[in-house]
Parts: sequence; structure tokens; C-alpha cells
Amino acid sequence: MQMQILDWIFRPNLKTDDARVTARDRMKSMLTHDRLELPAGRLESLEEELTAVVSRYFDLDKDTTHFDLQQYERRASLIANFRLIRSKC
Amino acid sequence: MSGRVIVVTSGKGGVGKTTASANIGVALASTGASVALVDMDIGLRNLDILMGLENRVVYNLVDVVEERCKLRQALVKDKKLGNLSLLPAAQTRDKSAVTAEQMKKLCDELKAMYDFVLVDSPAGIEQGFQNACAGAEEAIVITTPEMSAVRDADRIIGLLEARKDEIKEYRLVLNRYRPNMVANNDMMSVDDVLEILSVKLLGVVPEDEEIIISTNKGEPIAGTENVRAGLAYRNIARRIRGEDVAIMDLTPQSQTWLNKIVSFFSPPVRV
Ligand SMILES: Nc1ncnc2c1ncn2[C@@H]1O[C@H](COP(=O)(O)OP(=O)(O)OP(=O)(O)O)[C@@H](O)[C@H]1O
Ligand SMILES: [Mg+2]
Repeated sequence: MQMQILDWIFRPNLKTDDARVTARDRMKSMLTHDRLELPAGRLESLEEELTAVVSRYFDLDKDTTHFDLQQYERRASLIANFRLIRSKC
Repeated sequence: MSGRVIVVTSGKGGVGKTTASANIGVALASTGASVALVDMDIGLRNLDILMGLENRVVYNLVDVVEERCKLRQALVKDKKLGNLSLLPAAQTRDKSAVTAEQMKKLCDELKAMYDFVLVDSPAGIEQGFQNACAGAEEAIVITTPEMSAVRDADRIIGLLEARKDEIKEYRLVLNRYRPNMVANNDMMSVDDVLEILSVKLLGVVPEDEEIIISTNKGEPIAGTENVRAGLAYRNIARRIRGEDVAIMDLTPQSQTWLNKIVSFFSPPVRV
């Protein structure tokens, strides 16, 4: 909070949607797809299928399902986080 | 003697490979090492112009490979530094004029004669790039902080990783860095680019008009004192030689009291 006030006073140019952060975030996602040769939409269809499979076993809190690719030293990891409510049988 | 063969490469064109080759060559030679600069951009010869040696070129790399002359006859000595020589590219041939095997043999001959063999490669990821890498054990990847250049650098890094058996080490030079734009959050910072590419940093070269002036004069800026870009290249040369040289502070100069306070709160930019 304190930093935000200081930013607001001293760094009026600092925006959270600035070109630098946008470029960095676009680059990260672009290179993740480049390195895996992953076509657009492919990850989304995997998410759909996986969710369907897990749903057969558990009631899921679909709103908090988290599905993401993360880079570590030029290698991607698939992070899938399903919030479970209860077993289905 | 067995010298080090280092290829200078980028993926995207026009990001500063030839400028870096000339300047790192001059800077390495200034530290006392013997250096051969090899222009592998066959058909688009440039390195001789940057070195101011275009009027002294008699034979070229293709003449050597096709045995129309001896290697020593084709090497052009620098005007100032006696321990720096250039092997020019052919201007009227194309990338297919030299094979990877021929290039490897040529580099083996050169590294027996020089401490450092710096190979300037053509833009792109095709055969011209592969041939330029053929004799190298190390690579310098050049990029600017722009998205398209960084993406192409990532492709090159992927290809260098695939040649792990030959290319033992590669490091990044971030060229045309604009600290003022970074301070305004208008452009990716050094740390952003390093994080995105997960690569080791060899140096940062600021955007500098002096580079264009020195190119016009045919005298690489690394030979001039008191110019930031020149110092950046000299630091790179020292790091290549294994010295631990701190990345220089590139924080924009503050003019007004407000700027001073602003820079007090913003993190320093490094070179
Ligand atoms: N740090 C810098 N500051 C200002 N201008 C620069 C800088 N580095 C390079 N340039 C300019 O950028 C242009 C391209 O540089 P250079 O020819 O070295 O790139 P290149 O990667 O070798 O290009 P190509 O892919 O065509 O071989 C030149 O006009 C050069 O003077
Ligand atoms: Mg070039």
C-alpha cells in the first residue's frame, strides 16, 4: 500500500497495463507455445477432457479449477489444480 | 595453440551481429589476444566495411575453400591492431558456396593460428546459420529487447541446445538497450529478457548514435574511450576472457529534482 502511494506520487508513468509488462507476458506465453510447438486451442481442449475425466470421480468446484503452463529453465510444466468437493461413489 | 571459435548469431536480421563481431574483435585484440574475424555472411559482405578494410580485400573465404589462394593470403590485417585479421566473405556467391565440413576444416586451421576466431553469421535459421556454427564451440546470441527479435533469439537458442555436443556454451548480448524507455516501463528490461529466455548474460549494449558514426568512419567504437557503447563492448571482451566484470550502471541521467526523486525509488538499470 505504502509503495503504491509512493508510486502514485513519484512514478506517475507507472501503469500496471504498461507496454513493458504486456510485452513480457505476451512473450512468455508465445515462447511456451513455440517451444512445445503447441497450436492455439490445444491446451483448452486438454483442459476440457481432463476436467471431464476428473468429474467422473469427483464433484468439482469448477470456478476454482486452475490450468496453466509454467516455464522453468526453458522446460514447460503443466499445472492442473482441481478443487474437489466430494467423491462420486 | 588452440584458440576459441565463437559464432555470433541472432535469428532475426539487423539486430547488430556484424557490429558486435567487429567491436568484440577489436576489443579482444586490444587486450593483447590474437583474433581472426570471419565473415560468413556470404553474398552480403559487411564486416570489411565496418572494419574500414573494404579497399584491402583481395581474396575471400570462398577462394580459400576452393583453393584459389592460401589462407594467409586471404586474411586482411587490421589498420591499427597487428594481432587482428579479417577473413572476408565472397560478395558474388551465395550461402551454398561453402559446406559445413569445409567451414569446420577452416576453423580448425584458424584456431591453430589465433587465440580467438569470431564468426559473423547471416540472419536466419537455415543452412547459412548451420554452416556458420560448424566449427564453433561457443556462441554469442544477439538480440534487441523487441518481441520479434527475442522470439527469434529463442529459436536460435533451441537450435544451439540441439547442437550441445559441439556448442559448449552460449551467452546473450542485449543490444540497442534504451534505459529511458525501460525506466518508463515502455520496453522490456534486461531482467525481463533474461527471465523469458532463461539464458546467461554476456553484456548489454546501449542504443548509441556513436555506433553509426563509427561505422561510417570504418573504425569500430570499441577502439574509442569515453563512449558508453565502446565500454560495453570492451567489458564483453573482458568477460569472454574470463574476467569478472560487473554489468555497468545504465540508469538514465536525472535532470530535474523530480526525476532525481523518481530514480531514487526506481531500481537501477544495469549494462
Ligand atoms: N547499439 C546500437 N546503437 C545504434 N545503432 C546500432 C546499434 N547496434 C547496431 N546498430 C545499427 O543497426 C544496424 C544493423 O546492424 P548490423 O549490420 O550489425 O546488424 P546484423 O545483425 O549484422 O544485420 P544482418 O542480419 O543484416 O547481417 C546498423 O545500421 C548498425 O549501425
Ligand atoms: Mg550482418
